Amino acid sequence: MPLLEVTNVTKKFSGLVAVNQVSMTVESGQIVGVIGPNGAGKTTLFNCIAGALPPTSGSIMFNGREVAGKKPYEICKLGITRTFQAVKPFGSKTVLYNTMVGAFAQTKHLHEAEHNALEVLKFLHLDHKKDIVSKSLTLPERKKLELARALATKPKLLLLDEVMAGLRPSEVTDMLPIIRKINEAGVTIVIVEHIMQAIMNLSEKIYVVNFGKKIAEGVPHDVVANEEVIKAYLGDEYVATQH
Amino acid sequence: MHKLLNQKPVVLVMTALLLLGLFLLPILVTSPTLMQIFILVILYAYFTSTWNFVGGFAGVLPLGHSAFVGIGAYTSTVLLQTYGLSPWFGMLAGGLLAALVGVIIGLPTLKLRGAYFALATIAVGEGIRVLVENVKEIGPFKINGPSGISIGLSENSFTALQFDTKAPYYYIILIMLILVLLLTYFMMNSKIGYYLAAGGEEPEAAEALGIKVSRYKVIAMAISCFLTALGGTFYAQLILYFYPKSILGLDMSYEIAFIALIGGRGTILGPILGALLLRPVSELTRIYIGDMLPGLHLVIFGLILIIVMRYYPKGLVEPVTHILNKYVIRRFSKTDDLKTNSAADKAD
Amino acid sequence: MLGIIEALINGLLMGSIYGLTAVGLTLIFGVMKVINFAHGSILMVGMFAAYWFVILTGWNPYLAIPVVVPFLYLFGYYMQSFIIKPIFEAEKDVREPITVIIVTTGIWYVLDNLALMIFGAEFRVAKTSVTGQIFEFYEMYFLVPKVIGAGITIVCAIYLYWFLKHSKTGKAIRATSLDREAASLMGVKQSKIYNIAFGLGSACCGMAACVLVPFYYVYPTVGVPFDIKAFIIVVLGGLGSIPGAILGGIIIGIIENVGAQFMAATWTELLLYGVFLFVLLVKPSGLFGLKQDF
Repeated sequence: MPLLEVTNVTKKFSGLVAVNQVSMTVESGQIVGVIGPNGAGKTTLFNCIAGALPPTSGSIMFNGREVAGKKPYEICKLGITRTFQAVKPFGSKTVLYNTMVGAFAQTKHLHEAEHNALEVLKFLHLDHKKDIVSKSLTLPERKKLELARALATKPKLLLLDEVMAGLRPSEVTDMLPIIRKINEAGVTIVIVEHIMQAIMNLSEKIYVVNFGKKIAEGVPHDVVANEEVIKAYLGDEYVATQH
Repeated sequence: MHKLLNQKPVVLVMTALLLLGLFLLPILVTSPTLMQIFILVILYAYFTSTWNFVGGFAGVLPLGHSAFVGIGAYTSTVLLQTYGLSPWFGMLAGGLLAALVGVIIGLPTLKLRGAYFALATIAVGEGIRVLVENVKEIGPFKINGPSGISIGLSENSFTALQFDTKAPYYYIILIMLILVLLLTYFMMNSKIGYYLAAGGEEPEAAEALGIKVSRYKVIAMAISCFLTALGGTFYAQLILYFYPKSILGLDMSYEIAFIALIGGRGTILGPILGALLLRPVSELTRIYIGDMLPGLHLVIFGLILIIVMRYYPKGLVEPVTHILNKYVIRRFSKTDDLKTNSAADKAD
Repeated sequence: MLGIIEALINGLLMGSIYGLTAVGLTLIFGVMKVINFAHGSILMVGMFAAYWFVILTGWNPYLAIPVVVPFLYLFGYYMQSFIIKPIFEAEKDVREPITVIIVTTGIWYVLDNLALMIFGAEFRVAKTSVTGQIFEFYEMYFLVPKVIGAGITIVCAIYLYWFLKHSKTGKAIRATSLDREAASLMGVKQSKIYNIAFGLGSACCGMAACVLVPFYYVYPTVGVPFDIKAFIIVVLGGLGSIPGAILGGIIIGIIENVGAQFMAATWTELLLYGVFLFVLLVKPSGLFGLKQDF
């Protein structure tokens, strides 16, 4: 049984169909990418899965349970945690505090939450900054904090919403192994992204969305060669990766 | 608990001295008027600290909190006069009623945005006041509408919560305040505290991390209302006469909110600092200038509020702790203690 | 039956005056997204100004308009410029600019109590040429100043609406209230707009003040009931909507006056709070309000 099964999800906004009968499956342990040009509807799709918006129709099954239309906090409790494109740290609080907020999803004891949070921070090499107030962090550090916070909730599925947005190419390259590391630790990842380099590098499977519809799916290498996809992206640049 | 005691030695010594001073105060002060002022200072520190659960930790601006003071006062008094029930039990009953009312009000309103929540609390606060003003009795309970209730003098006893001298009142409210502060501290360093802080700062992010923000806000509201009402009973027993405008009015709601804001909402010391600074100003201007220029103390209040908010929107607690740190704590700390200084302060 | 119709019409008349104060508030609220708790106090200042104008000159109270209205405009403009602006700027990135709300409450306290100190608590009445005159209409009696007042306020509201829709400044104001960042990118100077909005809002109070003085008591805390009603009306009519404010004002005026036929005045107060809470909880954007996330 796939971990996440999205079936014919549609989202309408009084007249505008943002997501049109999109289906996708994610197996446990995979990294699946969702790409598409701006305005393609991928963020709306993402928000439907994450609970920020209820889909107009369709089903979203997670671990065999229907989660479409559930609230974000319920979805988090069931094992799906998301990050935000525009990072939202609890600015006035320290890195450790932020991470502990996530950790409390799994425990109600302070020392346990602190312990778990510290472990996550160590895993992401952020522990040396644990007492820094989060609003003084640089953007890549904030993105890492966003990941740390999400990881502290011990999710089965991590939804990354344009986690590379705003990063310089070198910073993007630094972020890739971190995401891979998270996946290797057992977290399934769905990554909605705009930056080709990241998606190509990380995903085992890619879904391409345009005008709310799924126009292609498959391994990165096939998707890139797909005519529909190239047409949709005419004008965008594909940055070749260097390993 | 260990975290509490894990402060620098200077801080612990200072706190101990402060507590000692507070407990010895009634022995040194004999004038009842002066004692009354101290009692009121501590009482308002209490009210602002309980207000803080909603106004500070839940991150909203409740401007109708006197309603809960009134619920406490009226409940315990009415039970005392109708059934002869000791105010201590009345206090508990008032607290529970206040918590219930608070939850009923909170459920729909805590979802509103800041300004709208503030307006809603004013409407509810005033609504309750008008309601009580218009009601002469509810069943067997005499409420007396606008004339208020007078508590008859009874024996000087603990069970009746009435004493001949000021000292017992002082100790009772001091202990209540200390208990509330301890509760605040433990809440801040617990799951509820973290969740409330998160929900107040970035509700969307908090929800994505599994927090049902509204639920925690309502919990904070219930705790706040319960504790505020306890103070209301104490207040009633202290002054022995109250009426709707005095105990349910906007003036009291605003004073509580302002003191907390000027001191520093969301912190433990803030409300106390505010009460310490402003209550004496209020009392003294009222006593000495009140008759000549009515309203002067409120003008002063308003001006202080504007000036403090202009320069220290987070409250005076920031600059005051900064000064304390710089000139007192550093002086008396060993240098290696100082290195851990900033981290410990931030975790405050 | 006649009593009810009379109450209805009185409600309409008084309601349009409430509406004008609400228009001022909704303008400030809509543009700056800030609750101005000092609004009632500004009205009170206007009322005292108009009162003293009448007492000292003995002229027709409506002649106070060209004096009081500009005075209040400047009063509001500079109050915003010197007191509120610095705090507002400091809080620009904060999600909820609560400090400004607190400061306006402080201003309210200061103004009301200064008035108390200077003028004393007595209720004053200005004896003017129109005070106490009654207008008869099919056996129903209405106070002349109330009728004139309502007329003037409706004219003002229409003028303001036209001004906002068609004048350059008006459009700049509307742009700022819809999206302040976009407006500033278009060359609209934010701080100037806020000052103007505040000035206009206060000027509305000035107009309402002049119109009220011939028949309403003047005392230091007179602003409070008007303030509360203005907030109720703004929420009812919808944030930022002038027609909403006038319509809301009329509705509130009618509820108040017709309600008074059936219950004691204090219960009508409760009724208004009830209406307020109902709107807040059921349809916070009010009748005509702009879409907001609540």
